[in-house]
Amino acid sequence: MTTTTVPSAFAPSARMLVLLRNALLPILLVAEVIFFTVAAPGFLSAANLANVVINSADLALLAAGVTLVVLLAGIDVSVGPMLGVVAWVGATLFVAGMPPPLVVVISVLLGGALGAINGGLVVGGRISPIITTLGTAAIFKTVLFILWDSTDVFAGPVVPALGPARAGGVPLVGLVVLAVFGVLAYVLRHRVFGRRLFAIGNDAEGARLLGVPVGRTSFAAYVLVGALVGVAALIYVGRVGVVQATAGNELTLPAIAAVVVGGTSILGGEGGVLRTLGGLAFIALLQNGVVLMGVPPLWNGVLVGAAVALAVAFDVLTRRTLDKRIGAKK
Amino acid sequence: MRPILSVSGLSKSFGATAAVTDVGFTLGAGERLAVLGENGAGKSTLIKIVAGVYPPDGGEMVLDGAPHRPASPGTALAGGVSVVYQEPSFFPRLSVLENLYVGREPRDRAGQVDWRRMRGRGEELFRRLDVPVELLTRRMDALSLAEQQLALIARAVDVEAKVLILDEPTSILTDAEVRRLFLIVQRLSEAGVGVLYITHRFEELEHVADRFIVLKDGRLAGDLPASEADHDRILEMMSGRPVNAAISRSPARPGRVMLETSGLTVPGAVSDVDLTVRGGEVVGLYGLVGAGRTELALTVFGVLRPSAGTMRVDGEPHTPRGPRDAMARGIAYLPEDRKTLGIFPGMDTLSNITAVKLPELLGRLGVIRRAEERELATSWIDRLRIKAPSPAFPVTGLSGGHQQKTLFARQLATEPKILILDEPTRGIDVATKTDIQQRLVEVARDGTAVLVVSSDLPELLAVSDRVYVMREGRMAAELSGDDLTEDAVLRATMGVHR
Repeated sequence: MTTTTVPSAFAPSARMLVLLRNALLPILLVAEVIFFTVAAPGFLSAANLANVVINSADLALLAAGVTLVVLLAGIDVSVGPMLGVVAWVGATLFVAGMPPPLVVVISVLLGGALGAINGGLVVGGRISPIITTLGTAAIFKTVLFILWDSTDVFAGPVVPALGPARAGGVPLVGLVVLAVFGVLAYVLRHRVFGRRLFAIGNDAEGARLLGVPVGRTSFAAYVLVGALVGVAALIYVGRVGVVQATAGNELTLPAIAAVVVGGTSILGGEGGVLRTLGGLAFIALLQNGVVLMGVPPLWNGVLVGAAVALAVAFDVLTRRTLDKRIGAKK
Repeated sequence: MRPILSVSGLSKSFGATAAVTDVGFTLGAGERLAVLGENGAGKSTLIKIVAGVYPPDGGEMVLDGAPHRPASPGTALAGGVSVVYQEPSFFPRLSVLENLYVGREPRDRAGQVDWRRMRGRGEELFRRLDVPVELLTRRMDALSLAEQQLALIARAVDVEAKVLILDEPTSILTDAEVRRLFLIVQRLSEAGVGVLYITHRFEELEHVADRFIVLKDGRLAGDLPASEADHDRILEMMSGRPVNAAISRSPARPGRVMLETSGLTVPGAVSDVDLTVRGGEVVGLYGLVGAGRTELALTVFGVLRPSAGTMRVDGEPHTPRGPRDAMARGIAYLPEDRKTLGIFPGMDTLSNITAVKLPELLGRLGVIRRAEERELATSWIDRLRIKAPSPAFPVTGLSGGHQQKTLFARQLATEPKILILDEPTRGIDVATKTDIQQRLVEVARDGTAVLVVSSDLPELLAVSDRVYVMREGRMAAELSGDDLTEDAVLRATMGVHR
């Protein structure tokens, strides 16, 4: 009998494409480090690298959270303003004399509650994640402005591990970040919850047909983003030392940049937090190295924006090539 | 033989259309039952009811001695009904191994995903099915289509299935893989699994079926053991519907050749197809789903790019770079899926009709000449008797049939030289259907070359002066005059010769 020809010649090129998607970031990261080591004096010093870690620890936790919902084929663009609200509440409680451990717990719970608003609207209200979180971002911004009430809140680190403290030159927040990424990487690989995120991001309807609780899992992911924002908010307070009217707003774009540059697909279903850590390193070192070279920090926006656009373009183009093979079946 | 699945009095309607009516059969443990029927005979609906995708309107199902009333595909699967659909869903960015176990990952005592056990089970499964084990670690989207299909069959088989349903599984497999599939089916049947096998290929019957049932217009038309599987007898059961006589069709006076393809090839869809359509005639294009009919139409319309062969429009070479080129040559195409590819749902009837015509309705400064636009739309609403209270009535407020007429008007308004219609009357009530069929004959008689792609055989026989039959991307037959009979078309479709 005859059958339609099967384009098996496609398979090796598809494997090459998958390989390229995985190998691109490590190559770029190495190139970046070599470039700045040569071009920017002091870049590779322990003191500078420790500074980079301290300055990007809060961003790292936001990016970790965003990774979870991007894997679901969702997004959260409210993480920056959400951080602002939690930072104000945490700093205010701390200054008022509340015991530090309690401040930490309340911040995490508050973040989780704000994340639950996003999750509830996305899952229960069936509103697209980008619109939902654009809306809540605007609300969080306004709430912070009202809470701020023309008065900056000055506060130091709530606990030493969430501030610029170092032990033997190693910044303690760096250890916190590593611990969080380690736990999330474990969850994504070895817990059923993590595997479900991937399945939903690939094909939510197909996952439902195979018995995956799509709504519950998605909701939990948005709550988890909020809880991570809660911890990040206190790191922000420890780093900046003051909560102002627009606190956190500047962090949304670099958080998403770290995720997409890291190689988690903006279309969902592939990636992970360790990739995001790589993407974050790329973005943070880029911003740092450029400043060391004497370029005004004003240009950071251009660099991060360009990195996002290029990363997403690469993602979408290569994925379209892979998907052609799937679509060809119909 | 112990019955594993028995079905009686099963019925299902979608709106006014009865898809399955009073169907009953029994599948024994270890038995392989083939389900045959034309396009739209109700085969897919039947298996979707058994698989829990659609609840039946009436009837009983008994699975392994217990009532089978699945609330969802998940519960049907848990009850032991496993399905490989014609176009199954899978998770392209995950490894083959993960695809096998989504939703049922093995876990260790700590609740962790047990990757080692998963790997072990996957390897054992693939060895048992004689599928290369190294595929397990590859990403699904890096596999060939045939490899993907094999992985999905493996997923269906790994479930503790009592009944395995395969919906035309061989359509994208190579010969070697087809043989492997037959072997798998054979082994499962020996292990006591009941297999329901949907196919269009007669040559497969002897390999995969102990018995077969034939569906026609949603009803059971035959139930015979394979030993009595005589091709003529099956064809007789499948055909024999009355041709729609309500259409009046004056004899065609074919003019010059308006559309001609020669050796046309589109990778994976169309191979070496020759076709001509003359002005003044209606040419039908029949074939099973996946035979390449729509792809052929899309190639003529400039959406798909041919890898070989030539096309001519009105004698001139035709190498469209896109639909705009094709439209500039006087080709109009009415797509198959009205809802997603045709209607502009937010707009009124008038704007839907004039959408393609707008560039010719522009006045100075590019402003649309509203009065003229309205006049044009109104004239088409009258000519096609579109039931719209006013031209400004929202198009989504019209019935499906009149929405289709609106699209028909949109294409006719461009006064095409070549009109291609893909499933022009699918899902439309009978009266409107007849009306549209009558119109398209008239359009042809006014000199337009009309090509109708349809899975509705009585429709094609009623409107067509000539019919081409495609089979697996190739032109299987060209029938006209006295040779153009339902039996002849079905034979060509199935690849059976007298």
